[in-house]
Amino acid sequence: MAALTCTKITLLTIAAVVIQIIGLSLFVLGFFPVKPAISGISGPESFSSPVCRSAENYNYTNHSPEELKSLYLELSNISPSYDRLILMVVDGLPAEFILGRDDRPAQEFFRKSMPYTQSLLDKGVATGYHTKAAPPTVTMPRLKAMVSGSVGGFLDVALNFNTQELLDDNLIGQFFKIGWKMVMFGDETWLKLFPRSFARHDGVHSFFVKDTVQVDHNVSRHLDDELDKTDWKLLILHYLGLDHVGHTGGRNSVLMGPKLEEMDEVIKKIHRSMIQNQLGRTLLMVVSDHGMTENGNHGGASYEETDALMLLIGLRDYDHRPTTHKTVNQVDITPTMALLFGVPIPINSAGILIAETLKSLEGEQQLRALELNSWQIFRLLQAQLPDLSCSSSCGVDKDGRGSEIGECDSNMEEIFCCLYVKAAALHKSWKSCQVFGSNKVMDYSSAVLAYNNFLRTASEWLSRRATNKPVGVLTFGVTGMLISSLVLLCLLYQLEGDVHVIENRTSHIKSRMHKWHMDEIFAMSIVCFLVLSMGSSSLIEEEQYIWHFMTSTSNLLLLRKAIQSISSGNTQDQVSFIGRESKRRIIQMFSIIFVLISGRILRGWHQGGVNWTNFPDLSKWLENEGTAYIKPVQLVSLLLLITSGFYALAFLRPRKGFVIIVGLSFVFPAFLVLQYIIKYQRSDVPESSYSATLLVQLIYVIIGTSTFGIVVALPWFMPVRNPKGFSSHQNKALFVGIADSLYLIGLVYIICWCLLQLLLQQPINSAPILLLLVQILASMCFSSVTEPKPNQWVELASLYYLGMAGHFALGNTNTIATIDVAGAYMGVSSHSTILSGILMFIITYAAPMLALLSMLMNISLRSRISLVNAQDVDLQYMLKKTLAYPCLVPLGLNSIFLVAYTTILLLMRNHLFVWSVFSPKYMYVCATTACIYLGVIIVASTVFYTYSTLGLRKMWQAKIR
Amino acid sequence: MEKAKKKLPKMSTSSNGTVLPISSSYTIFLHVICSLGLALAFWIAHNVYSINLVDDPTQTLCLVWVIEAPIVILLFSGFRQHPNQCSYMKAVGRGLLGLPAGAIVNALGAIALGAPVGIQHFSKTANWSILMSVFTIVPTASVFGSSWTEWQRLFAQAKPNGPIDLLICLPAHGAVIGAWFGAWPMPLDWERPWQEWPICVSFGAMAGYLVGMVISFGMSLFQKHLKKE
Repeated sequence: MAALTCTKITLLTIAAVVIQIIGLSLFVLGFFPVKPAISGISGPESFSSPVCRSAENYNYTNHSPEELKSLYLELSNISPSYDRLILMVVDGLPAEFILGRDDRPAQEFFRKSMPYTQSLLDKGVATGYHTKAAPPTVTMPRLKAMVSGSVGGFLDVALNFNTQELLDDNLIGQFFKIGWKMVMFGDETWLKLFPRSFARHDGVHSFFVKDTVQVDHNVSRHLDDELDKTDWKLLILHYLGLDHVGHTGGRNSVLMGPKLEEMDEVIKKIHRSMIQNQLGRTLLMVVSDHGMTENGNHGGASYEETDALMLLIGLRDYDHRPTTHKTVNQVDITPTMALLFGVPIPINSAGILIAETLKSLEGEQQLRALELNSWQIFRLLQAQLPDLSCSSSCGVDKDGRGSEIGECDSNMEEIFCCLYVKAAALHKSWKSCQVFGSNKVMDYSSAVLAYNNFLRTASEWLSRRATNKPVGVLTFGVTGMLISSLVLLCLLYQLEGDVHVIENRTSHIKSRMHKWHMDEIFAMSIVCFLVLSMGSSSLIEEEQYIWHFMTSTSNLLLLRKAIQSISSGNTQDQVSFIGRESKRRIIQMFSIIFVLISGRILRGWHQGGVNWTNFPDLSKWLENEGTAYIKPVQLVSLLLLITSGFYALAFLRPRKGFVIIVGLSFVFPAFLVLQYIIKYQRSDVPESSYSATLLVQLIYVIIGTSTFGIVVALPWFMPVRNPKGFSSHQNKALFVGIADSLYLIGLVYIICWCLLQLLLQQPINSAPILLLLVQILASMCFSSVTEPKPNQWVELASLYYLGMAGHFALGNTNTIATIDVAGAYMGVSSHSTILSGILMFIITYAAPMLALLSMLMNISLRSRISLVNAQDVDLQYMLKKTLAYPCLVPLGLNSIFLVAYTTILLLMRNHLFVWSVFSPKYMYVCATTACIYLGVIIVASTVFYTYSTLGLRKMWQAKIR
Repeated sequence: MEKAKKKLPKMSTSSNGTVLPISSSYTIFLHVICSLGLALAFWIAHNVYSINLVDDPTQTLCLVWVIEAPIVILLFSGFRQHPNQCSYMKAVGRGLLGLPAGAIVNALGAIALGAPVGIQHFSKTANWSILMSVFTIVPTASVFGSSWTEWQRLFAQAKPNGPIDLLICLPAHGAVIGAWFGAWPMPLDWERPWQEWPICVSFGAMAGYLVGMVISFGMSLFQKHLKKE
């Protein structure tokens, strides 16, 4: 086969990457569908039947809030049961704590912690419900579900950190429209969702998870004032403390009891005040957005996490006995609230009215409520199924009996139509019978049953619809990714062959193409092991374990290989050769042992993934010891980081001038980072003062400009003239110049990246950053002294693996919960989603990016080796070796993981953990892909720039001569 | 120069037979005894002390190596290299020295791969690594002593020749590979007691050791067969 030209490789690679991006985006769009939604907001028209459109046209745009309120009252025929609502959200409170599980009462400990609430339940004053929260069980999507009733898509989670205004039709908006004055205290997510709705508010951050006291105090301190005030109609209290207690200590934390008692006190206070001041009818609604696992985490789909609570206190018609607690869906809260408070049901709600809450109303009004709910759901169905009209039923006679319609089975449209018509007919017949006063109870209950039947079927179908997947798009996406992966791998294979042919020709080594070394085989099998392990949800949760296991095994194999070659060298040479040889071996052994040791410390730094978060590890130990221990670690890391930077610089001693300039470019930002650490970084609370922000911004600017400046300027000043002046070796001087500038640029990249990380990462992560750098430098050192050279792809692959192992060693896991949000606001003076997003990406992908950037140094080392071996150097060959390899290896490896993981996600689409484990992991896989693209682009453009600049200068020199 | 000298014994091993000649039936005997040692240890643990690996890993592992180590040392010392220059007792002594040395090597390897460090894990790790040492290092120490070339040949290059080499090399590699695979279930969330360090790793190591035994047995028979032809 003809050798690949550089242009061909470039074009094919770009094509493959483009295909991959297209395939990936198609897959993501297909797999994580947008939720079924109608645009617009429910208004008065929602009180008319969607089936038989009457001629009435409401002109409601110009109604004042008061008019609108009375219009709703008139249209709905349902008198609102309450005037005021106190919505108390206890973040993360599992219903099990209060209502027990499976008809068993709650544990004694929890019962004792909340005596008042339990007494309310026992007396029947309060009604409790288990509200099933849909995964992902994270606060923002759950709040959205509660107020808008819509079933969210998974992509909502991705937006969880950048909460934005909720534009869908929702209860808060509806209340706002009828002129309610609303007050909110607690989680500021509410303020982000509804920025203009609240008359008074005090938002608290939910980021500082360790704070379990102050967050709740900030809510409760307003309570006395607000309970005395009469102007509000809706009071929202969002308590975060319980969730924080869970995150820090799990369900059985020692803080849990006091926290529950505190919540009980709040409920008691509110209930007392409700009894005391008779200001209208007030409903106290205590809800939780999600539950928590034993360890206090949430996000997944387990019973513990989805078992949220709803307590209704102050229902007018309570039967005085504790009942078994019903399980409803969280979205059911929306229509229930809407009907209780006399507003239209939000347009995208998929919830079903909780009928018991309306028991105080008359039968007619209850049926009307069901009818309104059915109409709203029917509209939503119509948006999904355009054929659904049921217009044939419009002409049904007034006394058309429901029983005449037989079993409902055929396609979806007809089933819905039939169920709806049946219910509507029964309702009609009950109404007509009521006039004559006959057969009342029977018809009434059968109408209720028919409505419920329709609502349940429709609601289930709608929520299933939210997870429906278009097969064609998915297939297309997967095929695209597969093709691009195959192209990349074929290119890599072809390149391997080409380079070998050239190498064998030039350096007279016998063909070793087909002799596989142990490390090569293992580097291959790591891919297989990882792909296999991705099929298991717990291995995804504990992925740090696998990466560490794999990298350290491959390092142990390298150690074994080093031992293997110890006496295989030719020993008949002179003593000086032996001396050099043994020195080389000592360096080799020590560097690989160094890599192993630092790898082990990195592993011990953040031990647990998802299930093992409670395992003791170095970071937790240090955090417990307090800042007195963390700060020295940080300072020592900074010092050692700079030292290792200088050590790596020292290898380029001949280029003294450059070394000094580059060295200075490290020292200055390092000094500023040092200043920041000493001056501003205290305990866990990030400093947000103006001067701190300014300093951080200054550091960004200096790191940015010095890196950029060096990268741009260095190739222009690197000498290319051969000192000896041999014309045959001129090319060689050029390539030595290129290699040297790539080495310096690579070093600048990684040191500046590490300095940036020291600034951005949590203080506890400073030592891992240093260890990662040391690991990478040591493995460079190892590969530069190893003889014979392993294949370049093995080296690049192991760099990639080191980067991935480091990603997990920095405390990242495959859940979205471990993304460090606090650092993302460092140096950002005004809230900017894009800037914070970039910073978050920098923090999360610190290690893989470091590994990718260090590939420049690997390129430089490699090209120097080829220069030593080769007599005359061919540009084509050098480019292939220095540019094509480092780009293709990460891209190829990543494409394998991407395709494999996409396939696994497809296979697991019905798995219990698909939303909690597999989908977040897929988000990470996508982000890693983006990171690889970015890193490869940086590496490729730097190499390209260096080559072209130095080549240009060479040409000019030739011309001048 | 030294290295050149060290190369010599290896040559003589194959040609002059400085290792005692070994008969086919004796090979079978060796394999069976080594495997039975393990079985015996577990039988005693189960019936005499009524402990097992899952509930009481430390004591069981201790019992297993206490029983297996003498068997291995005594058996393999009989096949020491250069039997004329090295007495039986010296070979036993080498084996006994190899026991803690190998344990340290194994423990370091395991810790590098992620075995937990800490005082509460010390006894488990110690007993496990002594057992691994019995499987891997001790036989070689008894037979070859401190001959670097032989160690390198067996472990770094994995080039055994002759039934004794096979009997040393294959089960040792089997034990290491088995232990490596044995670590795989540890992060799974099955919440079984045997997922703890070092229980499943020990199971893996022993299974690998036995598999290595079977393969070495098969290969030594096969090689005999080849020679005869």
